[in-house]
Amino acid sequence: MSELKRTVAVHVPVLARVEGEGALDLRIVDGEIAELRLRIFEPPRFFEKFLEGRHYTEIPDMVARICGICPVAYQATAAQALEHLFGVELSPWARDMRRVFYCGEWIQSHSLHIHLLAAPDFFGCNSVIELAKIAPDAVRRGLRIQALGNELMDVFGARSVHPVGVRIGGFHGAPSLARIRTMREKLRAALPEAEALIRWAAGIAVPQDDQAFVSVAMRHPDDYAIERGGIGASDGLHIGADAYADHFTERQEPHSTALYSDYRGQPYLVGPLARLNLNHDRLPERVRMLLAETGLVLPSRNLFHSLVARAVEILLALHEALRLLDGYREPDSPWVPVTPRAGVAYGCTEAPRGLLWHRYEMDADGRVVSARIVPPTSQNQGRIEADLRLSLLNFGLDHPDDALRLHCEKVIRNYDPCISCATHFLALNIGR
Amino acid sequence: MKAVHILGIGSPSGDDRAGWLAVDALLASDVRARHEGMVIEKLDRPGASLIPRLENASWVILVDAMQGGGQPGRIRHFNQQDWHGYGHGLSSHGIGVLDALSLAHALGFLPPRLDLYGIEVGSVGPGETAGYEVLAAAQWLAAWIADSLEEAAA
Repeated sequence: MSELKRTVAVHVPVLARVEGEGALDLRIVDGEIAELRLRIFEPPRFFEKFLEGRHYTEIPDMVARICGICPVAYQATAAQALEHLFGVELSPWARDMRRVFYCGEWIQSHSLHIHLLAAPDFFGCNSVIELAKIAPDAVRRGLRIQALGNELMDVFGARSVHPVGVRIGGFHGAPSLARIRTMREKLRAALPEAEALIRWAAGIAVPQDDQAFVSVAMRHPDDYAIERGGIGASDGLHIGADAYADHFTERQEPHSTALYSDYRGQPYLVGPLARLNLNHDRLPERVRMLLAETGLVLPSRNLFHSLVARAVEILLALHEALRLLDGYREPDSPWVPVTPRAGVAYGCTEAPRGLLWHRYEMDADGRVVSARIVPPTSQNQGRIEADLRLSLLNFGLDHPDDALRLHCEKVIRNYDPCISCATHFLALNIGR
Repeated sequence: MKAVHILGIGSPSGDDRAGWLAVDALLASDVRARHEGMVIEKLDRPGASLIPRLENASWVILVDAMQGGGQPGRIRHFNQQDWHGYGHGLSSHGIGVLDALSLAHALGFLPPRLDLYGIEVGSVGPGETAGYEVLAAAQWLAAWIADSLEEAAA
């Protein structure tokens, strides 16, 4: 008996429930994947070119415009890079509050992704509006947690979208003690909600998948790395931000306006699951206990665990914000003076979606000569395509087209790709 | 008694200020002094954060810019039947007013009374000021809303 192999073409012209504009092309011929491309067609945004010639004082506000969801990541990374080059030692207050500010972004971005973008997939829903009809309490809780993260960003950034609080050397202003007291009460009240979210997320049935990949995330000797630390990988790599380009390469593919990144010639994973795989030993005791209760075995090789990893990081961020705001005092000055110098600045932090790396060449007046920004989504792009191939084979290619399409979308959404962040650069070759 | 919330939605891009202009006109009047507990806010593309603002109100009046192909300055009133069942594939970069209202409806967060007004707009370029037609429409709508509030309170 001969087995009939289908020829299938699945085109998802516009991916829904991801940040920005992308598409997916899948062609199966005689039961084999003949073509699989995550096509990022959102126009390039040339942010690195915009930065050239700009004074260092303008950089935090400019890079915050790269993304409406993770502006703190861009601000914190740029500030870290330039402060390192200029030999600035942040005050302990500013150092701690940068981490608190960043925690706000993790809380809002992760809650938004879990509830609005990813979770509907696992309940057979097309959108959070449908999910709200069958799991209203979970969606309400998610919106409350997201709003809390936004509020924490607003406290330090004056607004949650494209905040303007960060300056090189610290912050422009310091929140009042009264405002921090109110914030602390809200953060404390959210702890049981975040714990319930972890249990809920861990209870969601996800496909079983097992893939080999290298996890790449920042590592710090004391902290679950967010805004400081070196770059680590699951194969033992540990380097500083200045050595990133020696180990990671970017390349262009014709079908994408975002660059692809490789580590030792292979795709790799950045993001919440990569962080949890590398840094779960740095979680606070209470978070570690709760994680153990879920039964999640780390390191995980199943990208569908990304959703629970985000929930774990929300609880971590709440604990960290509370710890650092305990005993809060308004500083004499929220910033220290800065004197620019010429040289090359490197910085990296953990954006909600993964490792974010910046490099700036600065002149003696503190103006940008050149800039290079490697966001997490472009680092994950090759991994997403590799994952799609493997998980489609695991899932089975003989499913109906709609089931294949949905499975592909689920896989892509695990990475929470931010296409708008990723399309900031395009090498432009003009033949005349 | 729960409060009346008047929310003007917009951005600093030309005619997209329409909702803000209507709110500015209301703030310049004595409407707040005449209605205890009234909340008047200008929001910049609030996304999902619109939802909690609907939750604890008895009456929400929303004013937003609209591109419906008509003449700039034309005003339309929408009720729930007009947008009920609306729903895109929701990107969090692109969650709009109707997405947020639909989600609020599913969650049972909609107030007993909700009035949504759209002001037809023309050019919405970044940094532009609003056109005369939109400014006039926003002022006219503010007066209309103030009259509606007086009628309801009578």
